Amino acid sequence: MDTKPKSACDTCVHFNAEGLKKLGVNTTNFDFVVALAGNPNTGKSTVFNAITGLRQHTGNWPGKTVTRAEGAFEYNKKKFKMVDLPGTYSLLSTSEDEEVARNFLLFGKPSVTVIVVDASRLERNLNLVLQILEITDRAVLCLNLMDEADRNGIEIDTRSLARELGIPVVASSARFNKGIPELIQTISDLANGKVSCKPHRIKNIPKKIEKAVEKLSDEIKKEYPNLPNSRWIAFRLLEGDRHIMEVLRTGEFV
Amino acid sequence: MKSKSIEDIIALSNDLRWQIGDDFHDNLAEGIYADAAEIVSTTVKTKDADRKFRLDARIDKILTSKLWGFPLMFLILALVLWVTIVGANYPSAMLSSLLLDTVHPALKGFASNIGLPWWLDGFLIDGVYLAVAWVVAVMLPPMAIFFPLFTLLEDFGYLPRVAFNLDHLFKLSGAHGKQALTMSMGFGCNAAGVVATRIIDSPRERLIAIITNNFSLCNGRWPTQILIATIFIGAIVSPSMAGIASLSAVIGIAVLGIFFMFLVSWALSKTVLKGEVSTFNLELPPYRPPRFWKTIYTSLIDRTIIVLWRAIVFAAPAGAVIWLISNIYLGDESIASWMIHSLDGFGFLLGLNGVILVAYIVAIPANEIVIPTILMLTVLVSGIPGGEGAGVMFELDSVNATGQILRSGGWTLLTAVNLMLFSLLHNPCSTTIYTIYKETKSLKWTTVATVLPIVMGFVVTFLVAQIWRLYA
Amino acid sequence: MSTYNPINALLLFFAILIMAFFVFRPSKGWLWLILNSTKTNDKIVVEDILKLLYHNENADKHLNTNDIVRTIKNNERLIIENINKMVLHELITVEGDVVKLTKSGSDYALRIVRAHRLWEKFLAEKTGFKEAEWHALAEQKEHELSAAETEQLASRLGNPQFDPHGDPIPTQTGKIAKIKGTPISELEVNTIGRIIHIKDKPDVIYRQILAENIHIGSLIRIVEKTPERIVFHSEGEAFVLAPIVAGNITVTVLEKDMTFEDDLARLSNLKEGETAKIIGISKEIRGDSRRRLLDLGFVKGADVRIDLINPLGEPKAFLIKGTSIALRNNQASKILIKKE
Repeated sequence: MDTKPKSACDTCVHFNAEGLKKLGVNTTNFDFVVALAGNPNTGKSTVFNAITGLRQHTGNWPGKTVTRAEGAFEYNKKKFKMVDLPGTYSLLSTSEDEEVARNFLLFGKPSVTVIVVDASRLERNLNLVLQILEITDRAVLCLNLMDEADRNGIEIDTRSLARELGIPVVASSARFNKGIPELIQTISDLANGKVSCKPHRIKNIPKKIEKAVEKLSDEIKKEYPNLPNSRWIAFRLLEGDRHIMEVLRTGEFV
Repeated sequence: MKSKSIEDIIALSNDLRWQIGDDFHDNLAEGIYADAAEIVSTTVKTKDADRKFRLDARIDKILTSKLWGFPLMFLILALVLWVTIVGANYPSAMLSSLLLDTVHPALKGFASNIGLPWWLDGFLIDGVYLAVAWVVAVMLPPMAIFFPLFTLLEDFGYLPRVAFNLDHLFKLSGAHGKQALTMSMGFGCNAAGVVATRIIDSPRERLIAIITNNFSLCNGRWPTQILIATIFIGAIVSPSMAGIASLSAVIGIAVLGIFFMFLVSWALSKTVLKGEVSTFNLELPPYRPPRFWKTIYTSLIDRTIIVLWRAIVFAAPAGAVIWLISNIYLGDESIASWMIHSLDGFGFLLGLNGVILVAYIVAIPANEIVIPTILMLTVLVSGIPGGEGAGVMFELDSVNATGQILRSGGWTLLTAVNLMLFSLLHNPCSTTIYTIYKETKSLKWTTVATVLPIVMGFVVTFLVAQIWRLYA
Repeated sequence: MSTYNPINALLLFFAILIMAFFVFRPSKGWLWLILNSTKTNDKIVVEDILKLLYHNENADKHLNTNDIVRTIKNNERLIIENINKMVLHELITVEGDVVKLTKSGSDYALRIVRAHRLWEKFLAEKTGFKEAEWHALAEQKEHELSAAETEQLASRLGNPQFDPHGDPIPTQTGKIAKIKGTPISELEVNTIGRIIHIKDKPDVIYRQILAENIHIGSLIRIVEKTPERIVFHSEGEAFVLAPIVAGNITVTVLEKDMTFEDDLARLSNLKEGETAKIIGISKEIRGDSRRRLLDLGFVKGADVRIDLINPLGEPKAFLIKGTSIALRNNQASKILIKKE
């Protein structure tokens, strides 16, 4: 694995506009699955629509998409299926929409996860981002609503953000179609393995708990050596998530 | 072999959970936010922090102020309803003249030309087609106006502020402030209102909002209210006051619906729903200028067309049934007239009549066809001249002529008042019932939501009828 | 309808209404009584006796048959019959006058206690019932849960160690954690401790404690101790209790050098224009509500200030981590802050 992922700016130059086809709801015979996650009200559905050419309703209202929507696009002769997950603040709770999102990220095994965040509320949005990075190691951060952030005088150093998070970061304003080509290019690079990530791991956990997590995660790794998210599984087991226990028993996620 | 070590892992996790205690979730959440704060501190710079959210804050100060908050809110919501009801009149009239007065006779002519047997012609054209055409003509225009307007308010970010302003009132009845929105949405269409309850993330409050949505007078019922009020309520005052009197009667019914909504919400939260989990929080998102055309397009596709399609699917068989019961004879009486006569007694107790009850039974799929069905059935059983024949629903352009038919069908002011009450308090239409089932996935709550309002309707109309007769 | 007149109709209607009330009203209605009379079977009596004996033996008290008949509110004959049956099934032994649990009797009792406490935990975490209602509901449910259902419940709750009153939940194998703590009434002035247990019996005292909003997990510091009253500070408020009430609250004493923040306040007391840091969420908020607040950013150390106040005073919207989130007063009053 590369220790230094390329930052977003290295990838944005060679976007191939002719290679893009928006396929709408035609999601058959895809090569890659792309999951779209993010907090409510970050313009996630707008990003989804901009990429797939669909016109899902996007309300300025938290918690709009409850069921997951699917769409597709073709880029450089590869077909991508895109799954728009319900907008959630977190993946740690028991509500229905969080379960849908969590299960898809864990068991749907998306090739790439796009995490859409509101650039003017980055700190709050990072809560979800850091959780997702415990689950998957191929993700791209879509720093959306940059226009609003600009208006509010917020400046974000995307290079060092990409370094901190260990994943590519793409700045966008999906409402005005800005940054979408770069995002598609990055998704394609990640899916084809041209860029790799070294995602951030949650650090500020009390010693006592960190120890327990490590112990558990080591045991899990012994059983499933190829699991990228043994730490997340350990978190869930310590929360007493019955679904995870069931899946561990059947081993269906490996 | 493997399964044993998995069991070991799970057992280990149970042990560890005992050791680290109950605070795991708190610690994890705090840890993640601490990481987030560290990352933000090195990557984000905010210049001119004061300017942040200044415009938003100023709008918010006005929209939630003591002085302006409520008046502005009522003004905006009243405006939306007014534009919907008034604005829908013209396209509705055009649609009905096209679908009912032009296409329907043309279809009839075509059918007789190709020699379709009378029963097939009646079943398909007078039954199925007419019901569908009616629903489209009455339902489509108001929804096509109401939903985009509502969606524009939503996209702008105003609706969460309404929920914020009204939460105090809803809290008193054990409900969620967001119910104000699902309720308003119910004024457009109850099925859409029920779907909209997804924004309420607390299980108990969401159930309350679903069950009580039917108390919002939906746009399938507004025309009934307005027509009956104009004929009967307008007639008891001097002609100059008729308009105001009938309008106040209709508004009174809508307000009564809101009152029942609060009452039932309160009762539910205190009794059957006591044990359901209740959480409250409400995010007030920043204002965003909506993109006008895109919003209108998506709200037409997402909400209007879907709801309309569902209504059509349910209305078509209803049209067929209406035609069939009027044309199939048991002995020398049609099924419709037999049903009407057997329900007449019960109807009388409620201050209604058999015709109305039968019309509500067959018109479960769509409130829009209640009045045409009532007119057709009244002509059918009373034998007065008029109408288009057995099983053919009709409406008259003249309000006076409609009134004459109803009066010769035995209607009084009491019948009219109770019909208005019953139109407010009866089971949800089948589209809504189906939607409630899909949203709750529970037969129990669907049954409660269906049966509760109709029982209330029986009780209220019964009491009104008895007291009315005592004093009249 | 020749006999119809509105008065008769109304009278008939109210007669039916009154009938329905008598038949269906909860807990005293005839329907409820009928359903319940079939439910009051031997199983409940047996299990109640076992539990009674278990709790008393834990406190080194031994009961005789008379005590049992007096304590358990049921038909006397039924109780005597069942005591005899229990002796036959070797759940209890009667030595002279004293009734004692056998090994299998005490195992059985532990299973009932486990079901009871798990159910209380369930009610606390997953339902909206109030604290004062938990005990009575669990008293019923403990007889209905089968062994398999109890285990399912336990794993669904993540095999919890303590019930919401702080009582240990026996494990499946009958292990039971010991509570090591001191009643508040025995603590010296200036001791700092954390509440770990609140007795839910007797009911009168328990309700009094609940009414004071005292909860498990809260840090306290004793401020005053006299024979008449005990005063302690917790979560930014002062509590005054009679020693008999304070005796029902158990705390673990914490290290002396532990810092105790006396200048805590509640988020509901924040004024417009003030800023504060969040110290934590009271243990009183549990389950999904707690998780949701944490997810929304109400975590230790977060800055918070008022963004908007509802025209009617409640809810208030708080600006936290860049977003405006509205909370009702009953939630805001359970979030502890330190004003700046």
